[in-house]
Amino acid sequence: MTVAAVLTIVLCTFIGPAGFGFVSTAPGAADIVGGIRLPRVLAAFFVGASLAIAGAAMQALFKNPMADPYILGTSSGGALGASLAIVFLGGFFVPIFAWIGAVVAILIVWSIAGRRGVISVETLLLTGIAVSFFFSAIVSFLIAIAGQNVHQIIFWLMGGFWNTSPSDAILSACILVPAGALLFFMGRDLNALSLGEETAAHLGIDATRARWAVLGGSTLLVAGAVSIAGSIGFIGLVTPHIVRMLLGPDNRVVIPVCILAGGILLVISDTLARTFFSDLPVGIITAFIGAPFFIWLIHQRGMAT
Amino acid sequence: MTGRHSINAVNLHAGYGTEDIVKSVSCSFAEGTFTGIIGPNGSGKTTLLRVFSRVIPSSGFLELNGKAVIDYTPAELGMALGFVPQDEGRPFSYTVMQVVLMARYARTSRFAALTPDDYTRCHRALAETGVTHLADRSIRTLSGGEWQRVLIARALAQDTKLLLLDEPTSHLDLSHQSDVLCLMRRLAGSGSTIIGVFHDLNLAALFCDRLIMINDGKVVADDTPAQVLTPEKIREIYGADVITSVHPATGRIFLMPLATTTGSITPDKLPNVLVISGGGSGTDLLHFLSRKGYTLTAGILATTDTDYLTAKALGIPCIAVLPFSQIPAHSLEKLRSMLSRADRIILSSHPVGSGNLPVLTVLRETDPTRIIIHVPEGRNFPSYDFAKGSAAAVLIDLCAAGAQCTSSFNGILELLDTTPHKTQQPPE
Repeated sequence: MTVAAVLTIVLCTFIGPAGFGFVSTAPGAADIVGGIRLPRVLAAFFVGASLAIAGAAMQALFKNPMADPYILGTSSGGALGASLAIVFLGGFFVPIFAWIGAVVAILIVWSIAGRRGVISVETLLLTGIAVSFFFSAIVSFLIAIAGQNVHQIIFWLMGGFWNTSPSDAILSACILVPAGALLFFMGRDLNALSLGEETAAHLGIDATRARWAVLGGSTLLVAGAVSIAGSIGFIGLVTPHIVRMLLGPDNRVVIPVCILAGGILLVISDTLARTFFSDLPVGIITAFIGAPFFIWLIHQRGMAT
Repeated sequence: MTGRHSINAVNLHAGYGTEDIVKSVSCSFAEGTFTGIIGPNGSGKTTLLRVFSRVIPSSGFLELNGKAVIDYTPAELGMALGFVPQDEGRPFSYTVMQVVLMARYARTSRFAALTPDDYTRCHRALAETGVTHLADRSIRTLSGGEWQRVLIARALAQDTKLLLLDEPTSHLDLSHQSDVLCLMRRLAGSGSTIIGVFHDLNLAALFCDRLIMINDGKVVADDTPAQVLTPEKIREIYGADVITSVHPATGRIFLMPLATTTGSITPDKLPNVLVISGGGSGTDLLHFLSRKGYTLTAGILATTDTDYLTAKALGIPCIAVLPFSQIPAHSLEKLRSMLSRADRIILSSHPVGSGNLPVLTVLRETDPTRIIIHVPEGRNFPSYDFAKGSAAAVLIDLCAAGAQCTSSFNGILELLDTTPHKTQQPPE
């Protein structure tokens, strides 16, 4: 699996619309491969990995295989931040505003859901959905008044890696490594939580602390991903499903495999997007390929994971 | 019993919002005992159990194994008590073994793998609840009963001295119910402390050393099953009528529910009815009228008579006499006073000999228009007469004087609905 991941990264780095082979002496080839493609491929890998493990963690925490990493309002928060930056700041600071928007959305959800001391995951979920709709409404309003920026907002909403810089790749790695390690070592807590918080408590897990750790780690991962690439759909929802269908639902396995699988899927999708579809938003590709593949998998297995 | 307490609770209060569900509960559980918590729906049984397991915070003092529960870390709690929930969601396809292995999390560092010992313990737990053959099955494919036994196995694999079970047999068939509860008895015998919430009072009485009855969040009885499960207590707390008896094979108390007398019809609108019967002729009629909500009394009955048992079971006041003996004068006096208090009298045809003839004689003293005589289809008065014609003569006289006859229960209802008036020829 790791080998496959490395192979994907290397191969995809050498594929692109400029059509370079592995060894090329064409002028500017080194710049394109090293300065543009490599950071983009790496960023796609880290973002895909972040979304996949955040999705797996959210699905376990919410005891719901249909949960996705954006369920607590991260994507709509990020979209609002980015839209504000696009409309009012002429497109500067979009990633920073997206990150702030995503984190603010989560904080709002937490504080609303947590007002009475004890929060149930159900309350959290419903609050997340409500806040998402509210933020989406504001984004729709901004689109309506955006004028010539409308294109930019819509493209951002669909997600992609057009402006990825080497610092983006480094940033996403810096978030992925600690947050990924956190979720990896919480695999058994996730297992117990996926049977219910009370069950987890009865099994000797500190359920409250585990929940906050999982939410905190996932939020960092998703907010980072959103700020770099917008809200890319389907990777966070489908990757954990695929992994569970193949390897079972034990999160001590699912989390590490999701890092590799999510990374591979997004790198391939992004390579397809920039090579064959003149840099279409990658979110379109993930949904276009991911949805039929997902349906085929469900059909093959005849049941949910 | 060693005298040590696994749980010691003083003045516990707990609830979900502002309202307390558990109200000032104080009790303690000795090591090596099997206690049942019983009570009507919504009385706070499950909540109390979850207060003990610390998933619901409570005010008051709670001690596990001699140490205040607030001093426990989550992992220590996971090693101190096992909990079997009524049911548990199954969103993901874990295998049975994966779920049972989760019992060992509390004993293992998150950075270490489970040991062969952990696997051995879990396999033993699977065997103890008879689910070894399911070890590799996905939990989503299990039946409710199989899943419940897996949950019990997981709690066993936690290796705790204290086991809390929330209706552990609710999804189990008859043989698995007794298997699981026998296992719990054995565990209690070897020093574990078992506390279970039960809806089935007979199972609780059969297996538990002690029952705690909860109503409206408070302990209303706490004693041996025989002391707690009295018909009076059950009627007071559950609002249900039962008869209790001692099981001939086990020596344990057992309960039989009876149809409740509280129907939807308001009894005060219906007349008071005195039923005079005998030889089992009144059993169906008493049940029928009782269901319809009539306030009933029953006439003189021998204690061996089925009608007597029915009257007792339904809580109908009756005059009891010894079988095969003359009816004493004071019993006839009682009958006179019952007659005067009843609005209507139903005479259910029954064999009359010299022994019970005085009952009919007393009946002659009352206003015959209040009397309804029930004669089954195809029978006549002489066929009940074992008193050389005197009984039939009385009945014919009654009819002539205005008593009404009917052959069906619905006929009785119709007659009870109407005000008494003179009618009808008696069947000859």
